[in-house]
Amino acid sequence: MENEDKLIKAFFEDLKEQDRNIPIPEFPEVKVKSFPYWIPMGVAASLIIGAFLIFQRPEIPEPPADVIIISLQENEDHEQEFRIEEKAYIDIWESSTSSLLTEF
Amino acid sequence: MKHNQLENILKEFHRDAYLWARQCCGFEDDLAKDVLQQSYLKILEGKATLRYPEKVKSWLFSIIRFTAIDELRKNGKWVSLEENYDSPEVEELNQETDFQKLLMKLSPMQREVLLMVFYHEMTIAQAAEILQIGLGTARTHYERGKKKLKELIELQTQAANGK
Repeated sequence: MENEDKLIKAFFEDLKEQDRNIPIPEFPEVKVKSFPYWIPMGVAASLIIGAFLIFQRPEIPEPPADVIIISLQENEDHEQEFRIEEKAYIDIWESSTSSLLTEF
Repeated sequence: MKHNQLENILKEFHRDAYLWARQCCGFEDDLAKDVLQQSYLKILEGKATLRYPEKVKSWLFSIIRFTAIDELRKNGKWVSLEENYDSPEVEELNQETDFQKLLMKLSPMQREVLLMVFYHEMTIAQAAEILQIGLGTARTHYERGKKKLKELIELQTQAANGK
């Protein structure tokens, strides 16, 4: 058994000696493909912008402040009196000097 | 482990790794270079990860071996690892010791175990790990390989003395 081991060891020692003459190639330049991180980042940014635009609520214009219409009218007793009305908008507007155009 | 650390480890074992790649590729230099390059790529791209830094040599040898098997399979050169491997005839032995020819007459498992133990100074347990077989099976390949190689060496010696 020992003789067998010696023979085998000697065989491999000789093989190693022979292999010393084998030219070992230089350590290869290994170019590792780097993961293109800008692709998922771009997708994420697009999704965020898209979601922002979709879920952004349109601005509702505020209703105009109530309009107070104060008019001077003649009552049944032919007396002048002020009439005060509150409206969200003016449906009829009469110039305060329109009487000059019609009555003059 | 960082890329630089891995690269330093690979540089440290580069000579052994190349010789092992060559042995796994039936002593074909060009194929060994390709296999080594692919093995390094697998490691540096993180496809093969080192879990136990104390077993770095076994890990590297294992990657090289499996990469070599893949390449040999692609080229149709892979011989089955079956136990009942039929070795080629011994007729071509020359006077001078042709180490590679003698080793190629062993079964791949026997050859690999013997190379790991006697050439790369590993234990049978490490060889078993690399070959992914049980310790008992590795021991069997080791013993049978030694016996077979001894016969081949003696045959060669007789041939040399006869001439």
